[in-house]
Amino acid sequence: MTGLAPDRCITCSDEAVEAEVVAVHGSEAIVRVAGTDERVAVDLVPEAAPGDVLLCHAGIALERVTGFSRSPGLPALEAP
Amino acid sequence: MKYVDEYRSAELARGLASEIAGLVTPGETWRVMEVCGGHTHAIYRHGLEDLLPPEVELVHGPGCPVCVIPMGRVDDAISLAEEPGVTLTTFGDMMRVPGGRGSLLEAKARGADVRMVYSPLDALALAATLPDRRVVFFAIGFETTAPATAVTLLRARAQATPNFAVFCNHVTIEPPLRAILETPGLQIDAFIGPGHVSTVIGTDAYRFIPEEYGRPVAVSAFEPVDLLQSITMLLRQRAEGRCEVENQYTRVVRPEGNARALAAMDETMELRDDFEWRGLGTIPRSAMRVRPAFAAWDAEALYTIPGVRIEDPKACRCGEVLTGQIKPWECGVFGTACTPERPLGTCMVSSEGACAAYYAYGRQRRPAEEPVGA
Repeated sequence: MTGLAPDRCITCSDEAVEAEVVAVHGSEAIVRVAGTDERVAVDLVPEAAPGDVLLCHAGIALERVTGFSRSPGLPALEAP
Repeated sequence: MKYVDEYRSAELARGLASEIAGLVTPGETWRVMEVCGGHTHAIYRHGLEDLLPPEVELVHGPGCPVCVIPMGRVDDAISLAEEPGVTLTTFGDMMRVPGGRGSLLEAKARGADVRMVYSPLDALALAATLPDRRVVFFAIGFETTAPATAVTLLRARAQATPNFAVFCNHVTIEPPLRAILETPGLQIDAFIGPGHVSTVIGTDAYRFIPEEYGRPVAVSAFEPVDLLQSITMLLRQRAEGRCEVENQYTRVVRPEGNARALAAMDETMELRDDFEWRGLGTIPRSAMRVRPAFAAWDAEALYTIPGVRIEDPKACRCGEVLTGQIKPWECGVFGTACTPERPLGTCMVSSEGACAAYYAYGRQRRPAEEPVGA
């Protein structure tokens, strides 16, 4: 994927970005990041569906973001 | 962006900073290594160091994938790029890393066909448009990036692409961590574990750190609230007498990692006997190569790789920066002979490199009596 959030860089290879799934076509998904639609491979996250947020890196989705982090004793975050 | 903006809350960050200040022991320095270069970048971009009490010292680790590639591997890639009929592809930052014979960008200026890609899948797609050439992907990176290469190799085999190959330089995170933990006189008290690598390998992979070396770990995401939460978690462990692996990045990272990614890597790659790391020397079983079953797409099987070994420039102290022994500004060439425009060392090339982060965000402090460039 080439559309980067303004402060992120994946060209140095270990950065990854969150992106929202717009559509899924087989092993490819159209995701939206920083206002741009990009295509990523979903071979490793085949359950991806429109509306999901995926962690994407170097053209593939690594994992689904499943909600806000829950750390014992720390403030829980919720969507505004 | 959901799951990002919420973790940039100034109010939450101030609250966590206040709690951290209450958890330290006044006058007692506590050194925390953030393993991942992405964390280093985030810490300085958001000014987190200025929110922390002086007792918490952040030490930058070896987790920038560009920074750990030795100069000899760059020369190997240049040799591949100079092979007749080869189009060499790699990530943008790798094109600027200086080897003994210059950088890949300079090789391109001399006439080699070197192209930047954002994904190995882009390189595979390029091969379909260049049937008279072989497109070689110069693969670097930790377990975050290796799955993309693995998926690409699986697709190359499924499509029976004849003119694509991978020059595999993927590395694994555990061996350099062990190398640091076994450094005589180690002064690291706790670790902020890499978030994206852990998406693939899981948090259980770090249990050896508390169990064998007695240091706590908090696997962390990359936003300011994430990082401050992770530091808080580590300090709470100390206050409560615990020493374990905790997961701050639960919204993505599972204890067992991503089984599909691990399986794809295992099917396509195997551990090398040893691999040279910049700053850490040769570490056994610390990097991956393409499995023989995929030899048709393995540049090392298809071409003779020189395997040159080149010493780093003596003035460059990337090795000590990568292992947290010195701060970037303590290197004599930082900001003078070595800048992002003309980097001597890899830590200044990559935006995840500690030197580049210090340079970009003005962290160029040094004792007043020491002249710049001394």
